[in-house]
Amino acid sequence: MSSSNLLLVLLMLTAGGYFLGRRRAFVLAGTSGRGQQTLHSRPTYYGALAALWCALPALTVFSFWRFFESSVVTQMVIAGLPPDIQNLPADRLSLIINDIRNIVSANIVPQEINPAIQAAADHYTRLTAISHATLAVLVTTIAIAGLLWVQKIISPGLRARNHVETVVKFLLIACSTIAIFTTIGIVLSVLYEAIRFFKIVPLHEFVFGLDWSPQMAIRADQVGSSGAFGAIPVFMGTLLISAIAMCVAVPIGLMSAIYLSEYANKKFRAVAKPLMEILAGIPTVVYGFFAALVVAPLIRNAGMSLGLDVSSESALAAGLVMGIMIIPFVSSLSDDVINAVPQSLRDGALGLGSTHSETIRLVVLPAALPGIVGGVLLAVSRAIGETMIVVMAAGLAANLTMNPLNTVTTVTVQIVTLLVGDQEFDSPKTLAAFALGLMLFLITLILNVIALVVVRKYREQYE
Amino acid sequence: MNKYSRNDATGKNTLAGKNHTSTKAAAASTMDIVNQGLSRRYNAEKRFRLYGITAIILSMVFLAMLFISIIGNGYTAFQQTFVKLDIFLDPDTIDAQSLKDANYQGMVKQSLRDMFPEVKTRRDKRRLYAMISSGAAFQLQDFVRKNQQEIGSVIQLWVPADDDVDMLIKGHIPRDVPEIERRIKDNQLAWIDRLQDQGRIEKRFNTTFFTAGDSREPELAGILGAVSGSFYTLIVTLMLSFPVGVATAVYLEEFAPKNRWTDIIEVNINNLAAVPSIVYGLLGLAVFLNFFGLPRSVPLVGGFVLTLMTLPTIIIASRAALKSVPPSIREAALGVGASKTQMVVHHVLPLALPGMLTGTIIGMAQALGETAPLLMIGMVAFIVDIPGGFTDPSTVLPVQIFLWADSPERAFLERTSAAIMVLLAFLVTMNAVAVFLRKKFERRW
Amino acid sequence: MKKVLIASLALIFTMGLGSGWAASRDYISIVGSSTVYPFATVVAENFGKTTGFKTPTIESTGSGGGHKLFGAGVGVEYPDITNSSRRIKKSEFEKAVANGVKEIVEVKIGYDGIVIANSKKAPLFKLSRKDIFLALAKDVPSGNVAGKTVPNPNKTWKDVNPALPDVKIEVLGPPPTSGTRDAFVELAMEGGAKKFGWIKDLKKKDKSAYKALCHTIREDGAYIEAGENDNLIVQKLDANKDALGIFGFSFLDQNSDKLQGALIDGIAPEFDAIADGSYPVSRPLFFYVKKAHVGSIPGIKEYLAEFTSEKAWGDDGYLTDKGLIPMPAAERKKFRQAVENLIPLSASDL
Repeated sequence: MSSSNLLLVLLMLTAGGYFLGRRRAFVLAGTSGRGQQTLHSRPTYYGALAALWCALPALTVFSFWRFFESSVVTQMVIAGLPPDIQNLPADRLSLIINDIRNIVSANIVPQEINPAIQAAADHYTRLTAISHATLAVLVTTIAIAGLLWVQKIISPGLRARNHVETVVKFLLIACSTIAIFTTIGIVLSVLYEAIRFFKIVPLHEFVFGLDWSPQMAIRADQVGSSGAFGAIPVFMGTLLISAIAMCVAVPIGLMSAIYLSEYANKKFRAVAKPLMEILAGIPTVVYGFFAALVVAPLIRNAGMSLGLDVSSESALAAGLVMGIMIIPFVSSLSDDVINAVPQSLRDGALGLGSTHSETIRLVVLPAALPGIVGGVLLAVSRAIGETMIVVMAAGLAANLTMNPLNTVTTVTVQIVTLLVGDQEFDSPKTLAAFALGLMLFLITLILNVIALVVVRKYREQYE
Repeated sequence: MNKYSRNDATGKNTLAGKNHTSTKAAAASTMDIVNQGLSRRYNAEKRFRLYGITAIILSMVFLAMLFISIIGNGYTAFQQTFVKLDIFLDPDTIDAQSLKDANYQGMVKQSLRDMFPEVKTRRDKRRLYAMISSGAAFQLQDFVRKNQQEIGSVIQLWVPADDDVDMLIKGHIPRDVPEIERRIKDNQLAWIDRLQDQGRIEKRFNTTFFTAGDSREPELAGILGAVSGSFYTLIVTLMLSFPVGVATAVYLEEFAPKNRWTDIIEVNINNLAAVPSIVYGLLGLAVFLNFFGLPRSVPLVGGFVLTLMTLPTIIIASRAALKSVPPSIREAALGVGASKTQMVVHHVLPLALPGMLTGTIIGMAQALGETAPLLMIGMVAFIVDIPGGFTDPSTVLPVQIFLWADSPERAFLERTSAAIMVLLAFLVTMNAVAVFLRKKFERRW
Repeated sequence: MKKVLIASLALIFTMGLGSGWAASRDYISIVGSSTVYPFATVVAENFGKTTGFKTPTIESTGSGGGHKLFGAGVGVEYPDITNSSRRIKKSEFEKAVANGVKEIVEVKIGYDGIVIANSKKAPLFKLSRKDIFLALAKDVPSGNVAGKTVPNPNKTWKDVNPALPDVKIEVLGPPPTSGTRDAFVELAMEGGAKKFGWIKDLKKKDKSAYKALCHTIREDGAYIEAGENDNLIVQKLDANKDALGIFGFSFLDQNSDKLQGALIDGIAPEFDAIADGSYPVSRPLFFYVKKAHVGSIPGIKEYLAEFTSEKAWGDDGYLTDKGLIPMPAAERKKFRQAVENLIPLSASDL
């Protein structure tokens, strides 16, 4: 039977097991003196135990079997092929196997089919059918066996609840490991492809090279770019735009946080804070659209009227809008930190006769400084990793310049340009995107760790 | 009067005897110095306050600029220009057996020729036909299918105008530029004016925008495909990330022993929350598409990638919610004999649930607006059909906005802005619901 | 140890459930050229609306990228049709055959000109192919000494040809995945390079050196590769008056209110000039179909019929409205027959 039917049968057995186990517990309890109080756990736990013993071993066997099924069957089918096909070189053999698999799954196949291959395909189908049937029988048997075994061991003294709780705990651990796997998955996948890249292009050329023209020829007889992968212009572009963004976001964010937490009255805060949160919730693609449509032409026209040579995709436009996006980030982080400064410090300063602004400048801000620095670092890492605004508003040409009126490209734009539409994982072009992704990940990781360390280390002064 | 007071019962300064003059002089000069600096310091105070207010006002101005430019560009998209045509349903060309094959485009063109019989040259005729959308033929086909009894008579049908005519009627194409720089030629202008005088041009609510999928023709393009795609993707994300996120938070907060490992895991999760979204896209590309071989452009894979992205947000919010439940509740439960699991599931979890829900809603709102990771997994194809399930190819609303933003037609500009308005409406609603829930269920222990 | 065990169990569990992914697709999957993309999308939309089949999904990957994906194998996970703004190369064909894609049907859909355009607000450029070569090549001949080249020193158009405006050379063009790029370097750059006698002789002596000289485009920032999104180039030209863009005629035609095409060798890029061949930079557009997929993926034959119908690619068809230059009637008939009988391409045709 098909696997979904099998899973359905398993589900029904599990449900049945639950009810049977529970009923057995009631039965065992009801006859003797104190009724349910003789049972160690509530009856529902006995049912749950039965259900778990029915489902879990069966599911484990099912997964293992399915995981290894296709490779085992393929090996057996290859062994059954005529010897001349078996001895073909590896890539031809894999083509043949592909054909066999396609025939089996009623996929598209090339027209003429070798009778030996057709026979092999039939063999494959037969083997798969046998495997599925065996699996079905095995799984059902294990499920029923588990059920019956639990029925047998159910007794008033059985500590069903403890067993069930242990299983629940393991399930929770399994869920937690998914979060860990995500990190490992990111690191491994990006690292693996990046290492393949660094075998083709040496690391020092990537990190220190000044020439970025990655659009290499994709065919042997084509002439493309020279395939220079020096990433410094790209990093400089990211740096420039992030610097502009921080110049906008930090003063405005910090000052608005200070005003909101120190000076504003309740009504003002009740209006301003939600508005800031709206600013934070706007998707970055909208910011990108706004930057490309409104801000860039505005800056260009302003620059032209002043006689400056402004590119239509200036770093200034992208940096400005990115700064606007980060303002609520800086503001809310600073707000939390400033509020955490004990009131006694402020009172002491005020008591000595300082004005409110002097208190803030000389007492509160230095006290909150580690937190603010941590927040700013997090904002920087956000700016570095931002994609959509720069894809829509920044340029594609790798330009090594510090002039904000020129056009530059960033790491994220290059990743998108190199990967959209291309699926081949062998060319240096695609792998270069992974190498850039690795750099991005490492830099944001380092920034976050520094932020965390700074905050943790200096925060304890006021606990 | 205590012993520390300088003044005696009469209020005179008792210590003023010794060094009286110098202290008084010194005190006077200190006070003078202080008084002189006072106005400067008050001014500094006022300036500081001003900076603060300026900062907030600047942020509000930016927000206002954003909204005004988007809404200003987009509100006209909710109306579409329609033209009333008199179409003769020629019984010779329509075969009742195969309604599909009749030349509806030809009938529309004939109707235009009948209205403007003076148009002769091929070039002018093409300009005439270009004023009506190509979707008119399909609309006519639908009409005939539903009203087969009308075959043989002349019907009046309101059909959508071409996007250039639409832009002209809405005033986006200036009439005073030289003809070469205009998309609407002079003779087309004359015809449009005539149609308007005859009362055959009308602006109606643009239902196509909400009921159609993507299209190459702006007047036929709509966001339903993208909205359905977003919907399916979000459902996959919610169903995967909420249970796993809550389970992880519960384990880490309640059951995990407090040792180095859990410390590392906590740092790990905080870092994941700050990883740029495009790296998740790379992960999705390398693992889901390349290794597992899942199909491109389907909400299922998009949901997987977005789950990985929102997990850290949900975990962090859930942990904060669990931490806020006071220890007294936990100890009380343990005191009446509950086991640890029972305590968590029956007592702590229900109390922490509002906080967890708030975090989840905020995470979902972030996932709704994400574009970069979905670009990597292929959702940039031209897909017209409305997806019917989780494995149908589709795109999501932010990606649709991104794709439309590249199109040069003026009509797509206003539709992109309108789509942004729809997206923002969804997001503001979700955030408002989250804030409302947080306020309503907030309990001060 | 126990936790590691549970973790690995969890992993295998999820992978076990995930393997054996069903292979089935009931919509046509098309990849390829960004120049053919506007035409293919219109046909696909019409096809979807008039027949009961699902609308094909179309990705714009560039002709080269499209051929790579198309030729990777036979099966539902590979695309059915690839659009191409140049003919398939012999190496691509052989690679496809080696991967099991043995029968490919070639369909020419019409002609397209490659234009160099800029914003209407800037002065009109009158270029010759020699100017284009001298402006964009990586190495240009030095003086008139045969065989000697220097890295391209020209910074402004005036350096290339004193009759041209004194404007910085800034050209937005397609990357190597694009068929437009291939056609451009072959027709415009090579055409201009051949005006130098010694380069023309080099073709017979050392073909690969000749190709390297003619086809390599400069990388010092004057030529910017703008991705497979020609619409983006159009937008950037509107914002930047000094830049020029290289793309297909259809994009110029659809945006004629904002852009103007430069004259090449004295001929303006207009419909009739391209149709009768007098405009020197024009090429045919194609798409390629896997015969093995016809019948397994529903609707391919009907899509082909729609594309090759007179109302689509005829002289008055809707594709012509979009800027496609139709083939002569005899050629149309020939390709319609090839489509109806699904006559595959053979290596000797290339």
